[in-house]
Amino acid sequence: MTPVRRGNPAWLGHPAILGVAGLAGLLLVIQLLPTLGLVNDRHLPPTSAILAALADELGTGQFWISLKDTLVAWAWGVLIAVGAGVLAGLAIGSVPVLRELTASTVEFLRPIPSVALIPLAVLLYGTEIGSTLLLVCYAAFWQVLVQVLYGVADVDPVAEETARSYRFSAWARVRYVLWPTALPYVFTGVRLAASVALILAITAELVIGSPGLGKDIAVAQASEAVPTMYALIVVTGVLGVLINLLARFGERHLLGWHQSVRGEVIA
Amino acid sequence: MIRRIAYALALPLLLFGGWWVLSAGSESFYAPPLSEILTAFGNTWTLSALRSDVLPSLLRLLSGYLLAAVIGIGLGLAIGVNRRLRFTVEPVLELFRAVPPPVLVPVIMLFAGIGDGMKVIVIVFGCVWPVLLNTVEGVRAVDGVVLETARSYGVTGPARITRVILPSAGPQIAAGLRQALSIAIILMVISEMFAASNGLGFTIVQFQRSFAIPEMWSGIILLGLLGFALSLLFRLAERRALRWYEGLRAAQRRAG
Amino acid sequence: MLEVTGLKKVYRSGNREVEALRDLTFTVDTGDLVCLVGPSGCGKTTLLRCISGLLEPTGGDVRVDGKAVSGPPPGMAVVFQEYGRSLFPWMSVRDNVELPLKQKKVARPRRAELVAEALDAVGLTGTESAYPWQLSGGMQQRVAIARAVAYEPRTLLMDEPFAAVDAQTRADLEDLVRALWQRLKVTVLFVTHDIDEAVYLGRRVVMLSSSPTVVQDELVIDLPAERDQLHTRADPRFVELRTHVYEQIQLAKKAAA
Repeated sequence: MTPVRRGNPAWLGHPAILGVAGLAGLLLVIQLLPTLGLVNDRHLPPTSAILAALADELGTGQFWISLKDTLVAWAWGVLIAVGAGVLAGLAIGSVPVLRELTASTVEFLRPIPSVALIPLAVLLYGTEIGSTLLLVCYAAFWQVLVQVLYGVADVDPVAEETARSYRFSAWARVRYVLWPTALPYVFTGVRLAASVALILAITAELVIGSPGLGKDIAVAQASEAVPTMYALIVVTGVLGVLINLLARFGERHLLGWHQSVRGEVIA
Repeated sequence: MIRRIAYALALPLLLFGGWWVLSAGSESFYAPPLSEILTAFGNTWTLSALRSDVLPSLLRLLSGYLLAAVIGIGLGLAIGVNRRLRFTVEPVLELFRAVPPPVLVPVIMLFAGIGDGMKVIVIVFGCVWPVLLNTVEGVRAVDGVVLETARSYGVTGPARITRVILPSAGPQIAAGLRQALSIAIILMVISEMFAASNGLGFTIVQFQRSFAIPEMWSGIILLGLLGFALSLLFRLAERRALRWYEGLRAAQRRAG
Repeated sequence: MLEVTGLKKVYRSGNREVEALRDLTFTVDTGDLVCLVGPSGCGKTTLLRCISGLLEPTGGDVRVDGKAVSGPPPGMAVVFQEYGRSLFPWMSVRDNVELPLKQKKVARPRRAELVAEALDAVGLTGTESAYPWQLSGGMQQRVAIARAVAYEPRTLLMDEPFAAVDAQTRADLEDLVRALWQRLKVTVLFVTHDIDEAVYLGRRVVMLSSSPTVVQDELVIDLPAERDQLHTRADPRFVELRTHVYEQIQLAKKAAA
């Protein structure tokens, strides 16, 4: 039972108010820690310095070029991964023999950390955007593929048998039975792929030095522009939150009819 | 049984064989013949190399991961049972989770230098968020009837946490731990690529920089095997701990 | 002895107020078996949650053996309607029955004894190490009853416990409740929406009105103590009593409409 709190106006307990208070509290703590000397301000600059650096960054052309580079690599990566993942997933999923044959391989390849490919990417593409793309595609592909495979496995056997008894062609089975069942899973896959792709894009830029926000973070670190480094990290975090919100929003809007009939697959 | 093993092995063998045959006469500098890579694998990853490069990596990985699990589950429990606290910190947590974990490496290098401590802290910081957020979600979603049953039978205090809330949130916590495991491997490698004198990530980058291509490939393969082995171990542990959940779900599917 | 006096519960959500219970007064004597019956949606579950200390009433009070209830009282066991959710799926049948005893700090040998006795009483010996979800619905509700019995309560609350099991299982479980009540001499308050079930089980039936709820009527069931599904239900007196309860419930519904 939730105890009734008296004396507090109801709006004080509103989730949005509490959430804003939490964020404000974070900013305040980061402001106070260095100003009170609890943390060396060369390690953690106060909020005001980070915000000033952020404002500076927003005024430079370099920042916007980097942001564009990161987003371009991200978008292409998601696009390629989703296309390849959906096609491969449907193909594998609709043929039982293929499903059995590939199960072990998928299980083996999936947990291979994408960063293992960094040296390979460097050798192949150097510090071009192709390096970023390779890592992004690899990591995002598995997210989509696995979700599509879940989705195809979820097809109602009765629906499948109905389609067979009416002698649907293979194409019609995919189009009218497989695809609609798998669609919500595809969206979950896209959502997961979108956030993984951002992480990998920035990681690749950071480690390899291909153009983008990640590279700028590495440059800021090397030149000891600590507030700038924090400002850029904040940007990546906000970008991640936005991509997440956007993906959730899109999923809910495009799949409003489907939410009630399925539970979220925890992956 | 034999059929299943055959199915499981067929494609990997085929791929491996294909790689072997196609790369056999390879003149390409970047894609040496598989036979060469395998020879390099045997020569590179000797027992002493495993001890001096793989063992430190693994120790850092495990200590960071376990710390993150303990912190994440502990804080997640505290936040999950307190509604107001949850609403207050949730946006902050979402922001922290959205920051790509590898950018933590330069930040934590400022505080903790480039030693083992830095690498462990990086892993903790990267892994803690999925565990934390999933624990919060799992605790929040504990069935009301379960909680009322516990209350009316006097199951309170520590027993309420350990016998009721934790097991009930278990499946969700496991999902968080699984996400955290792959993040942990990534961070282990990246933190070593940045600054280290030993470790798997460090060694692989050294091979790449000195253009020791077969050795580099062997390192990539070893990293893949490691990722595979860890996820297999995790799956085994998960299946043991959550046997009840798999059974419950199967029973519900049959009924539904 | 269970006394409910002037019980009132108003739910508040935002600016809306919903009066669930208006003014409820009744008592259940020690060792009695009373059935509460009322039209669907009449706040039976709210009432039960107030009595079991899971919900704080807006007004009035509940006393168990003379002590006012604030929080789940010791010596009271509850059998919930949702057996599937009330049994912990991560524990075996034995652990489910044993956990409340551990919390009561019952010594280990005595615990084992109580668990074995309770499972035997509900006819589930041999399922100790199964998980609840491996059992049928009726058997799961038996486990829930065994858990309550092993707890050695003085008062037993049952919230529509058989609403979700099939008719034949239900008849078996009704007889089980009668038998346990006679053997263990506990005070039982049994909530149901099924009029036949209320008359068949109870020594007294309390009829509730539609929401906001008051006591509509009370009736002593003067059927013989030995009851069985075949003869009791065919007894002309059973039919009379049943008709009376049915009429009262219809009246209550009409008054609400």
